[in-house]
Amino acid sequence: MIEEEEAYGEFDDDAAPGDQEHGAHAVARSVRNYLIGLALATLLTASSFWVASGTGLIYQPGVPMALAALAVAQMGVHLAFFLHITTGPDNLNNALALAFGVFVVSLVILGSLWIMYHLNANMVMPADMMNMHMQP
Amino acid sequence: MLGKLSWAAIPFDEPIPLVTSIVVILGVLGLLSFITVKGYWHYLWHEWITSVDHKKIGIMYCMLALVMLLRGFADAIMMRAQQALAFNAPGYLDAGHFDQIFSAHGTIMIFFVAMPFVIGLMNFVVPLQLGVRDVAFPTFNSVSLWLTASAVLLINLSLFIGEFSQAGWLVYPPLSELKYSPGVGVDYYLWSLQISGIGTLLTGVNFVTTILKLRAPGMILTRMPIFCWTALAANLLIVAAFPILTATFAMLLLDRYAGFHFFSADMGGNPMMYVNLIWAWGHPEVYILILPAFGIFSEVISTFSGKPLFGYRSMIIATMAICILSFLVWLHHFFTMGAGADVNGFFGIMTMIIAVPTGVKIFNWLFTMWSGRVRFEVPMLWALAFMATFLIGGMTGVLLAVPPADFVLHNSLFLVAHFHNVIIGGVLFGVFAGYNYWFPKAFGFRLDDRWGRAAFWFWVTGFYLAFMPLYVLGLEGMTRRMQHYDVAGWHPWLIAAAGGAGLIACGIACQAVQLVVSIINREALRDRTGDPWDGRTLEWITTSPPPHFNFAAMPNVIGEEAYWGIKQKALEQRRLSDMPEYKSFEMPHHSPTGFVAAFFAVIAGFALIWHIWWLVIIGLIGGFGVFIGFAWRDVSEYDLTAEEVAEADARRRAARIDLVEGREPGITKVEYSGESADPHHVHAHMEPDGGHKGPAPKRIVVGYGFWIFLLSDFVMFSGFYAAYAVLSHANAGGPTARNLFDFKTVAIETGFLLLSSFACGLATIASHVKNLFWTQIGYAVTGLLGLGFLGIEISEFVRMVQEGAGPDRSAFLSSFFALVGCHGLHVTCGLLWLGAMMAQFKAKGFTPSILRRGMCFGLFWHALDIIWVGIFTNVYLLGLS
Repeated sequence: MIEEEEAYGEFDDDAAPGDQEHGAHAVARSVRNYLIGLALATLLTASSFWVASGTGLIYQPGVPMALAALAVAQMGVHLAFFLHITTGPDNLNNALALAFGVFVVSLVILGSLWIMYHLNANMVMPADMMNMHMQP
Repeated sequence: MLGKLSWAAIPFDEPIPLVTSIVVILGVLGLLSFITVKGYWHYLWHEWITSVDHKKIGIMYCMLALVMLLRGFADAIMMRAQQALAFNAPGYLDAGHFDQIFSAHGTIMIFFVAMPFVIGLMNFVVPLQLGVRDVAFPTFNSVSLWLTASAVLLINLSLFIGEFSQAGWLVYPPLSELKYSPGVGVDYYLWSLQISGIGTLLTGVNFVTTILKLRAPGMILTRMPIFCWTALAANLLIVAAFPILTATFAMLLLDRYAGFHFFSADMGGNPMMYVNLIWAWGHPEVYILILPAFGIFSEVISTFSGKPLFGYRSMIIATMAICILSFLVWLHHFFTMGAGADVNGFFGIMTMIIAVPTGVKIFNWLFTMWSGRVRFEVPMLWALAFMATFLIGGMTGVLLAVPPADFVLHNSLFLVAHFHNVIIGGVLFGVFAGYNYWFPKAFGFRLDDRWGRAAFWFWVTGFYLAFMPLYVLGLEGMTRRMQHYDVAGWHPWLIAAAGGAGLIACGIACQAVQLVVSIINREALRDRTGDPWDGRTLEWITTSPPPHFNFAAMPNVIGEEAYWGIKQKALEQRRLSDMPEYKSFEMPHHSPTGFVAAFFAVIAGFALIWHIWWLVIIGLIGGFGVFIGFAWRDVSEYDLTAEEVAEADARRRAARIDLVEGREPGITKVEYSGESADPHHVHAHMEPDGGHKGPAPKRIVVGYGFWIFLLSDFVMFSGFYAAYAVLSHANAGGPTARNLFDFKTVAIETGFLLLSSFACGLATIASHVKNLFWTQIGYAVTGLLGLGFLGIEISEFVRMVQEGAGPDRSAFLSSFFALVGCHGLHVTCGLLWLGAMMAQFKAKGFTPSILRRGMCFGLFWHALDIIWVGIFTNVYLLGLS
């Protein structure tokens, strides 16, 4: 049994994540899209390396923030140009799911850091004492 | 050859497990030989074991839960007996055995009673209520079931071979570390739950996709029955929370099996991080269980009050609010760990806020009953008992949410009473209501009413007698999990609690009798019309039991309470709606994939527990083979002709004539909602179908399902990432990031992966225009770059281990190796997948199913790149800067 070709037109208010456009010149446009994504991603990656390699341009304590910001920007580039997640109405469900995922991911990471930082601050036990404590 | 396994693993010297083992083994052998003698194997294999029908899978889930309820309850009554006896005495259980029993009781009741029961009811009901013929991924649904069943098998195996965990139902380290729990008990726990966790995650993906992408025409989201809404919320929570559990257990397993130091008390490990992560899963888990129970009560209360649910939209908002808020309260499980006033205050307030949407729900149920014609059938009794009981449990919960009060009450029997109050009074009463309510739909006859009532009264009185004394004991200062004690004042309360457990035992016995009596009297209890309770939602429009395709013609939904509108119109006109035009449609084939995958999962799990490495390899290769076989199949669906469908529907219509002509007792016609389309709910500017055209095409369903799976993968990585972020400075005097990482290697790795992502994108474009040559070239480049990445990563790992900077050196290195290694493992899986897919492209060309897989692979590969962006910047570069 050969599966039938699937129609695209009927459900034009909904798109699978990663769906690209169809029709004339679609290939050229898709390739251009990927090339733009690759260029932007390369640029951001290079910036990250440049920031981390100890340039004097960025205030040293701000480096972690700069790295985090560059990482988030690059993730956005990948989502938009490689995974084709857009803000269009046909992508609403995909974008909502992504928003929920981002919410949970940031909650786990930031929440853990906040909680564990407070635990460490309140339960002062220097590393040496910890080691002494562990000795038989 | 056999790892740690030897004759010493069999408990010859302990009479209780030995006798239990022998009885259970004889029982199972008896059952198997009965099936063989009667020749039922063929029927079982074709109709049940390989079935991908959501209704049968749901029924099997519920049966599994009922059997495990017996096991979990046996543990409970042993504990109550021990504590009733052990005043100034050792009792009849030694401490080690007692510890195993309370650990097993909690584990079994949550993971293998509550979860499968709730998932079983969702399986059975959700597609029927949505008016569709199956779930989004029927074969994966069967995989979920059988993986859960294999975990159940492993857990019960621990009774006969080896031992079970003694570290409580959440195995807190450092007690659960190898140093303090050297036996196989914790390994049984961890591997069983990892296996069932995969099954649960697949269920979550499956049901989110089903509810959001497969609904009957016209069933817009705000026309969905409230049970479907609660199922959506619960499955969103599964997708978002279970990956955290998987990551946390993986870390503990690495500690135990590979000498990592995530949670150990030395080398920088941090046991408190485990507690933090496990409750980031654990609190949403509570709502995974209770939200569907809220949905069941909503359906039951509305049906048996003969009224639409009061405040339907506020119910939706409350459900989704709980879904989000449940992620913001996890610290209240460890207020006393020392986070300080700011943190405790925040989480205490968030916890109290959750009571608000829950209160909204309680009022909505009360107002639904208000001025309704309430029928006190068994499901309704459970719902009423729930409202009273859950209210008490909720209020003691708000009390525990106050951090200073929690400092007094934590770890006491007050806490034990509280969570049994909400889980028995909420979840268990809910699934019992659902069991009585939907049983006639599943089997075509009702459950016996008298025995149902008897079971209800024993359970409810037994519950109060068993758990109210525990509140008192908690306030008197008795801690949980005590094997013996010497306070005379506690003794009478514990004897009373044991009496309560005895009453609950009577309740369970009544439920067993109810089932047997109902089967014997099934002709008298027969449900002929398919609508025994005068229901309001679409599952009651089809026959009881429904045909395997559920609906001959997909119902057209115009307004809330889809079935109620259709029924009132039919009752008014005293005739059925017009015959639809029957069309042929496809149904999924039965498949042994789930069962075979579970078979290998049991083998791999058992071998891992006992360190039998060659068997582990066999299990893993077998599992991989199952997936290749599944991916390679050509025919996954068969056509049902229009004539077959029409014939089946003719029988349904004949059965319903009595109902619509008003001859069926108990079916009411209510004047005020007599219109087929309630004008309050259909807005003038809307099309009759509300703009919803019905189930989405397969490409969108598959893409969306995979997208949800990827998001759950991101959440799993966030668990590893959080562990790295917390432990990255815990180098225990060993090397730091600056000594170990090097700019050039990371730059090459990043370049490889980025280019590989690009090549994969080009291959996807080529596959869209069906150019086989460029598709294969693109994928080949993708794979080679991926291999290059993996090679560099492995050589980097080897170098670090050789320099004495392996994962066992410090907590920092443990978390580094786990995070980066998990990404590497994903790349490895991607490469295996890529190889299989390229072979398929070559062998079969561009069929739609392969194109769908290509789309999923593209998403996966790009997602790995996104995860790597987080790793190279915030692990390598931050470490070097």
